[in-house]
Amino acid sequence: MKLTVMKKISVIWILAGLAFLVSCTDTPVTPGGGGGTPLAKIVGTLEIEFRVPGSFLGPSRVLRADISIAKDAESLYKGHFLETANVYNSKLMYQFDLAPGVYYYQAGIICVAEGDSCSAASFPGGKFGMKWAIGTVEVKQDATVHVIPQFTN
Amino acid sequence: MFLVTLAIGFLASCETVIDINSTNQDVPIVYCVLNSADSIQYVRIQKTYLTDQAALNNPPDQDSMLFSGQIVVTMERWSAGKVIETYNFTATNEIPKDSGFFPYQKNILYKAKIKVVANQIYRLYIYLGSKEKVLYAETSSLGRLNVIDPIPLQQRKISLYDGNNYTCRWDQVVNAGVYQVAVRLKYKETIDGVTKIKYLDWPQQFASPGSDVDYLSIDISGVRFMHILQDNLKSGNGLVREVIGVDFQIVSGSLEMKYYIESTSPSEGALMEKPVYGNINNGIGLFCSIARIDVKDLLLSSVTIDSMAYGQFTKNLGFLDHTLDRDSTNNL
Repeated sequence: MKLTVMKKISVIWILAGLAFLVSCTDTPVTPGGGGGTPLAKIVGTLEIEFRVPGSFLGPSRVLRADISIAKDAESLYKGHFLETANVYNSKLMYQFDLAPGVYYYQAGIICVAEGDSCSAASFPGGKFGMKWAIGTVEVKQDATVHVIPQFTN
Repeated sequence: MFLVTLAIGFLASCETVIDINSTNQDVPIVYCVLNSADSIQYVRIQKTYLTDQAALNNPPDQDSMLFSGQIVVTMERWSAGKVIETYNFTATNEIPKDSGFFPYQKNILYKAKIKVVANQIYRLYIYLGSKEKVLYAETSSLGRLNVIDPIPLQQRKISLYDGNNYTCRWDQVVNAGVYQVAVRLKYKETIDGVTKIKYLDWPQQFASPGSDVDYLSIDISGVRFMHILQDNLKSGNGLVREVIGVDFQIVSGSLEMKYYIESTSPSEGALMEKPVYGNINNGIGLFCSIARIDVKDLLLSSVTIDSMAYGQFTKNLGFLDHTLDRDSTNNL
């Protein structure tokens, strides 16, 4: 007798649950996204072709040392960079995804030759002397801007 | 009645205590890793032990892990089928053993001055007087390890932050079966006016030799680096940390090392109990070789240091920014 009553109560609860679920309305889905998906960042791409200028020194005596990006000239001067790339002997192209705007960049090369070779090639201070190429570039949305740093003497 | 009496007598005579341990065989355990980056090589010799008591509660006696009697350790370098050099090892206790469950007061090793020559065969012989036994093992030394990136150049700073990974590259090494790169972060830590230099070692996953590739490489994740700092360094009031720099350790191991690592790694398939690889004849253990290069005292880029100071994962760890400040207005 008790069991029958329990079964009836269970059936009532199940039916009530089903009715509750059926009555639920799905959250309207906005076509094309939304729904908590993070917004895509608005960026453009800065591509730096980091050529090491040729000289009488061998190719393994002058190496890439640094590429950094800053928002303005003062930040560049003080070393407050937005981005700094890992540079390699074997890598020529370096890319940065940045918000649209004007940026300052610097590229540095270093002389590692022995003796007075570095001084003769106008690297200040001789061995481990560095030369810098500095410039500005405007990054535009969804576009890739390509620069080649120019080193003087 | 007679049969019942007989059965009772028979059952009463049974022993209920069973000795599950057989007599200890004193199996020799030998480990020797020839390191081409070192001029001194070491051999460790111990033996298996058995105890009737609960092994987890009672560490073995020091002497039950070491062989008594005469022990002679020699090594030969072979090239083109001939013995080129023979080395005799002498006992030493100059390297202390870490404290722990096993006894550590007497850490006897055998050492010899050996500069490992690349691409040679090395043979290890050990005579154990107490067992009148000779152990034997053989390994090939590795070729030269040439690291392409990083190069030891402080001006070329390392950037490791969210969205910026570092690629470590090296040439394939002759006879190598496995490679590993480890990054060591060096920093100063000041608590209550006391400053200490500290290290955080971050080993990368193992890499295997590739075929038809000019060089091997591994990517060190910048965002993972920040998580490693978050997971391994404690935060605290008044704690100040200053980044010094990073070292890279690139290690290549012989095929024996590769087999040993594979045999001791966690099982993934149905075979849960894997036999541990060993190449010591008449014993257990490993004789293998490694080549190692350390690229030390590299500097982190200012963006990396600022990310450590103000980034979302590490901002509570007390790192100073690249100007040695904690200016919160400079938050990234």
